[in-house]
Parts: sequence; C-alpha cells; structure tokens
Amino acid sequence: MKLSSQKPTGNDYLFEIALFLATSAQGCLGEPPLYGPFRLLDALSKLADFPDYATGLDADPFLKDIKAIVDEKKFLVISDVDGFKSAIDEIVERFAKEIKKRYLETK
Amino acid sequence: MLDVVRMNVFDAIKGRRSVRKYKLDSVPNEVIEKILDAARWAPSAGNIQPWKFIVISDRNMLELVRKVSPGYLGEAPLAILVCSDRERAYRVGGTLGRDYLSVSDCSMAVENMLLAAYALGLGTCAVKSFSRIAVKEMLEIPEGIEPELLVIMGYPAHTPTPPARIPFGQIVYLNKYGLKFPTSMEG
Repeated sequence: MKLSSQKPTGNDYLFEIALFLATSAQGCLGEPPLYGPFRLLDALSKLADFPDYATGLDADPFLKDIKAIVDEKKFLVISDVDGFKSAIDEIVERFAKEIKKRYLETK
Repeated sequence: MLDVVRMNVFDAIKGRRSVRKYKLDSVPNEVIEKILDAARWAPSAGNIQPWKFIVISDRNMLELVRKVSPGYLGEAPLAILVCSDRERAYRVGGTLGRDYLSVSDCSMAVENMLLAAYALGLGTCAVKSFSRIAVKEMLEIPEGIEPELLVIMGYPAHTPTPPARIPFGQIVYLNKYGLKFPTSMEG
C-alpha cells in the first residue's frame, strides 16, 4: 500500500478521479437528486488539480479560478439551494465567456 | 483518565455541526473509547444492540476509504464505520428487526456519538455517501454485517454556521396531524 503522504503520480490521480466518478455514479442511484450536481462540481474541482500531478499538462488559471469558486460555494447545497443553483449558473456563465475567448476571439 | 465533561445536553444538540474541515491532530484512544461507550448506551429495539463499530485510524486505510466515499469531505484523521449486524437483528427481531430497526438503532447510536464527540471538543460528520461494496471489500466486512453510516471526526478547523431549521409550527402538531401546537418558539 502506498503511503498516504506520498504525492500521487498523474496516473494515480487520474485513477482516483475515475474512482470518484464511479462511486459517485453508484451513489447517485439512490441519493438526493441535488447530490448529483454537487458530485459533478466536486469532480470539476478535483479535475482542475490534475495538471499538478500529470506531466506535460500546464496549470490552467481559468480552471483554478473555477475551482476556487466551486470550493467556496459547493456547500450551499446544504444550506441554500437557490444559492447553490445560482453558483452553478455563475460557473457555467464563466465557462461560456471563456469558451468564446478561447475559440472565437483567437480565431 | 479523561476529565469528566459536563455540557448541557441542549447546548450539545444545538451546538453540534457537520464539520468538513479538520485539523490533522490525532484523536487519543481514550477519547475514541468514550465516544464509543456513549454509542453502545443508545437505545435499541428489544435491546438487540445490533451495532458493530470499525475504528479507522490507519492513515492509509483512511485514505482508501475516503477515495471510495464521495461524501467524505475534508481530511479527517479518524473515521468510525457504524455497521448493523443484520443476522443478529433478524434472529432476535425478525424481518422488522433486520430491515428497519437495525437501521434506526444504529442511527440512535450515531447521534450519541456525534453529541459525545462534540462535548469532547471534536467535530464530526455522519456520511452515508460511500460505496458500500468498496468499503465492505476494503475493510473485509463479512456477510450479514451491513455498513450503515461512516462517522468522520477530528478536531475542527472550521465550524460552519447552522443551516436553517424548518419552522417549529410546520412540523409539530397537537393531538391530531395539522392541528396547531401552541408555542412561543420562533422559527
């Protein structure tokens, strides 16, 4: 067994994200419906860290910013459902602006 | 020996929060014992006491359990898996014991744990979002023993603000469902 203090390799980290998605999918079969979007946001947060572990990938400042928003607001799912939904809207809106910037403005 | 902790039970009930950020300080064994002693003194239907507790303090095992538990948020230094002994519950309590009472009994034990832990300065979070199959495999849990709730715990690094409660008047009735219970309680 690997020591938990060791930094995971890119492959380890990818495996862990895959495992998180699989166990989340299993959970979503019976959990409260709002846990689905919560798990997806949590997965997004984990995915944003992937370049920290994988070789050949650059850190993406946009994704890091999104991760910060996700980590700050994801727990609204427990205390403020409307706020949680607004946070998802805000995140998607940021993605929409970013995709325009990346794929339209540069071409 | 631990000092006797005296906390008003209402303070414990209202002060306890589900904590998702922990310090890495380990929890002493005598504290764990005290929490589990509180758990085993919970009520149970027919005094079946259908519970089993697996203390997970090994960092590697804890990390593996965390990886298969999407609801395990934060890096708590300790987790206790509360399981029901469904075979025993069936032997003593029939299908009602196995399918329903074992779950409610374990839930009462967990509430005792959460309050005791809070009184001892710990934060906790009761988690059901774990992969039952994966957890059973990793902890080598035999047939007939069912993981019910994973209680993660540690010294809190952050205590969340309490989420709103459904107003008292919307959930409490007098004599018949829907009839108002007179109360001065707000919210």
